[in-house]
Amino acid sequence: MEDKKLRQYDFVTALVLILFSIWELLATMQMPMKESYGGVQNSWYVSPALLPLIVGLGILVLGTVLLINSIVTGGAKSFIESIKNSSKMVITEETKRIFTVLLALFSFIFILIPNIDFYLSINMFLLFITVAFYPDVEEYRKKITGQYFIASIVLAVIVFSPLGGIIKGVLKYNLDILVLLYIIYFNINSRILAKKYEIPAKSFRALTLVSIIVPLILCPLFRYFLLVPLPVEGGIIKLMNLLYYTIR
Amino acid sequence: MEFLEPLTIFLTNIVGLITNPVSMLILFGSVVMGIIFGATPGLTATLGVALLTTLTYGMDVSTAMVALMGIYVGGVYGGSYTAVLVNIPGTAASAATALDGYPLALKGQAGRALGLTTTSSAIGTVIGMVFVVLLSPIISSLALEFTSFEFFLLALFGIVISGTLTSQDLVYKGWIAGLIGLWMSTIGRDSLQFYPRFTFGMTELDGGLDLVPVLIGAFGIPQIIQSIRDKIQIKDTQKVDKVLPEFGTVLKHTPTIIRSSLIGVGIGAVPGIGEDIAGWVSYGTAKKSSKHPEEFGNGSVEAVISTETANNACIGGAMIPLLNLGIPGSPPAAMLLGAFLLHGIQPGPMLSIDRPTFVLEITAILLLASIAMWVCGMFLTKQVIKVLKFPTSIFMPVIAVLCVIGSYALGMRVFNLYLMLPIGIIAYLLTEMKYPIAPLIIGVILGNMCDQNLRRALMVSKGSFLPVFTRPVSLVLVLVILILIAGQIPFFQKLQKKMGDSFKSIFKKKNKTADAA
Repeated sequence: MEDKKLRQYDFVTALVLILFSIWELLATMQMPMKESYGGVQNSWYVSPALLPLIVGLGILVLGTVLLINSIVTGGAKSFIESIKNSSKMVITEETKRIFTVLLALFSFIFILIPNIDFYLSINMFLLFITVAFYPDVEEYRKKITGQYFIASIVLAVIVFSPLGGIIKGVLKYNLDILVLLYIIYFNINSRILAKKYEIPAKSFRALTLVSIIVPLILCPLFRYFLLVPLPVEGGIIKLMNLLYYTIR
Repeated sequence: MEFLEPLTIFLTNIVGLITNPVSMLILFGSVVMGIIFGATPGLTATLGVALLTTLTYGMDVSTAMVALMGIYVGGVYGGSYTAVLVNIPGTAASAATALDGYPLALKGQAGRALGLTTTSSAIGTVIGMVFVVLLSPIISSLALEFTSFEFFLLALFGIVISGTLTSQDLVYKGWIAGLIGLWMSTIGRDSLQFYPRFTFGMTELDGGLDLVPVLIGAFGIPQIIQSIRDKIQIKDTQKVDKVLPEFGTVLKHTPTIIRSSLIGVGIGAVPGIGEDIAGWVSYGTAKKSSKHPEEFGNGSVEAVISTETANNACIGGAMIPLLNLGIPGSPPAAMLLGAFLLHGIQPGPMLSIDRPTFVLEITAILLLASIAMWVCGMFLTKQVIKVLKFPTSIFMPVIAVLCVIGSYALGMRVFNLYLMLPIGIIAYLLTEMKYPIAPLIIGVILGNMCDQNLRRALMVSKGSFLPVFTRPVSLVLVLVILILIAGQIPFFQKLQKKMGDSFKSIFKKKNKTADAA
């Protein structure tokens, strides 16, 4: 990162650090300093507030030093200029790629894992992220990301609204079935879309295989060999259980 | 004959490991995995250790240690593959190796360069191991004399020095990272009065932040984002004909090996400072003391030997404070600390009393791991190169899944994932703004030690700081911390320069009068 931009970011970080330290110090002040807590009569040196107080003051001082440095080196000035010229700001290819990665991770961790069968969650995550990046065609990735973004929002609404409860009440594995259907749709749709961008269909076979095989190795490894109960054991994992315990 | 007892235990351990086929299989497997992790740009030994920790969950302590030490040794060495063959260091530790390893490969000597890195790395690891054996009893007996003030200052020293030496931009950015880590360590109920600090009423936070998800988030997520963002992909590598051990060439550079090993062990022993700094310092020192400094940067054999010996000797160095003080010497050692705790081993001065043979077990594993690394380096190079060509866009998402499952599996809490991702994103942003991550991790790890010992010490002294100045170790630590901090203040920098200049002028005057006489 170029030095000018770094000093610009320093200015913002310094402000964030100062605000954070003020909040931290205020929260620390609420901790028992002299009064009795848990049967212990506090003195300042036994108080649970001691280290947080030192840390808060340290961050405040260093944040101020960083702020002064960013002002002296022109970081504050260039930040204000960049705010003024924000309408001319171009979203770079790199930023778009980061957005796709973060979308995949957020939907995987916050929507899929806590609600959907673990096998299907991994399958969906891997399928989306590999299909988005493997062909390395910007326009194609943009379309795939857009579609997945909408699908994630729809799923989030279903899961976090009373609708989720109703759907689950109708049939036990309804949400899993819904995601499974979307995986099939995503698979077909990404191939149809790829034809428009002249991306060879051959590569998709490998991506589909990876998204099926990786969870097929990981789920049994953790579930049956390391004896780790998986976050949500939905339709597929229950099927695996049935097979495993029948064979065993 | 008392001195023979440790040797007997050491040899018994080695024989025990060699005769156990499962241990040997795990050792070779983890070393190969480590080499792949080290060689793949974007993956590091730290992440390798972090992900393998999850898989060692069901293993007994001894087998788990074999796997973890194997991946650590392999990971540090593996970085040299891409450094030599593609001029992209697989890990930061092998960045200095690329400067001369790649020009050697361009001259058609890629096999020779890899032979040199393999043998030097193995020798470096073994020398580091010797230092673990020699220094551990001394440090651990010294540490038993430490009081709470010393432990508090030692933890503080670890954070300050790690922040000072790992920062690529402004030094105090390292300290800020350390303080953020310290703050993160205060989350949860405090260990003396069980008062909930910064828990926001969430019961999941009462026990504090779990170390493994924090480490996986801080080291794994930024690497995944960076690799996919930058489209890192290895397509063509330099041709490798045959990897030969190059014993003759290495032996010719014995002084370089000894010096680099000492640098590696010394830097490794400093809290939070890793193999990358050892490699660079060793490279710089080797260039200064070389008879042919002009060859450095153009394919110097001495340069390759110096960097690879140092970064692997660093492993032993990093193990010394980890085992004897409970302070990790490098980022992978920080992850190892998490693994030790997971397996019920509490590193620190009491380790020599609780598990008297543990240090010798670890050193025996280190020796075998270095041999396994050498064997794999000699015979599996071509296979590793094939793995390196695997597309990042497929490989990295799989690593992301491993990070997620690893963070979840240890505590079996989905909440750990909710922590891992934001921590990972914050770590990514901090890395982009040139804040080092190592001090943050050191802060998280040493925070509890800092908090408990400071309050315990003040409780004993009834709020007085006087014992700090009456105990020699405390006094030295306070002075070093103050010098480190003052060294960044412009006034003291000027003063330091003035003092340096005046010393130089006095020295010059003395020399002149001596010459005149």
